[in-house]
Amino acid sequence: MTEEVRVAPPGWKRDFPYEAAAEEEVTRREFARYLVLGAGAMAVANVGLAAWTQLRSINRGEPLPIVALDDVEVGGTYLFTYPAEDDPAILLRLDDRTVVAFSQKCTHLGCVVYYVSESEQWHCPCHEGNFDAVTGDVLSGPPPRPLGRIDVEVRDDGQIWALGVPA
Amino acid sequence: MSNPTRRGPSSAVIVYVIVLVALQVFSVTVSVEAFLTDDERLGWAAAGVSVALFTGAAAFLRYLEP
Repeated sequence: MTEEVRVAPPGWKRDFPYEAAAEEEVTRREFARYLVLGAGAMAVANVGLAAWTQLRSINRGEPLPIVALDDVEVGGTYLFTYPAEDDPAILLRLDDRTVVAFSQKCTHLGCVVYYVSESEQWHCPCHEGNFDAVTGDVLSGPPPRPLGRIDVEVRDDGQIWALGVPA
Repeated sequence: MSNPTRRGPSSAVIVYVIVLVALQVFSVTVSVEAFLTDDERLGWAAAGVSVALFTGAAAFLRYLEP
C-alpha cells in the first residue's frame, strides 16, 4: 500500500496566481553562472585598478619645470600639479637652495594637505593627520603611510624641476 | 517518507556563491579606495583576494546541479 503525500500549494500562490511563460527559463545553474561571470568581471576590474594605481605612481613621469626658485620665498609653498594635470602637489622651500615636494593628497582618504608654518608640518584638516614637513613621514593622526614624495632639484637656470622616475 | 521541503547540496552552493560575490563587491570598493589614495600594496592585495574569490565561486559551480 502506497501513501501519497500531498503538498498544499503555498498560500500566496492561491491568492496571487502567478503564471509566467518564462518562469522556468533561468535555472539555478544559469543564475549562478551569471553571478560567477559578474565576479570575474569584478576581478578583472580589480587587477586593472591595481595596475593603474601602480602606473600612476606620484613620482613617476616626465621631468617638468615647476617654478623659478626666486618666486618662492624661504618657508613658503607653491602649488602645482604632477605628474598629471589632476594630481595636486605642493613644494616647500626650506632654505636658499633646498626644496621638497609632495603629493598634496593625504594618504588616509585623499584630502588635500597644507603647510602649517608654526608647527612646520603638513596638516590634513579632514581627520587631523600631520606629516613631517621635510620627510613627509606620519607624525600623528590616522594616515597609514608617508606623503607621496616628488623628487625635485634646483637647476642652474634657477628653475625648480620635478625629476620624475621613468616608467 | 521523504521530506518534500528538503533540498540537495546545490542549494547551499548557490548561497556560497552569493556570499563570495558579495565579498567581491567589497573588494572592488577596497580597490577603488587604494586607487584614490595611491596605495599600490593595498590595490594588489585587493586584486589578489578578488581573483581568489572568483576562482572559488567558479569552483563551486561544479557542485551545482541544474
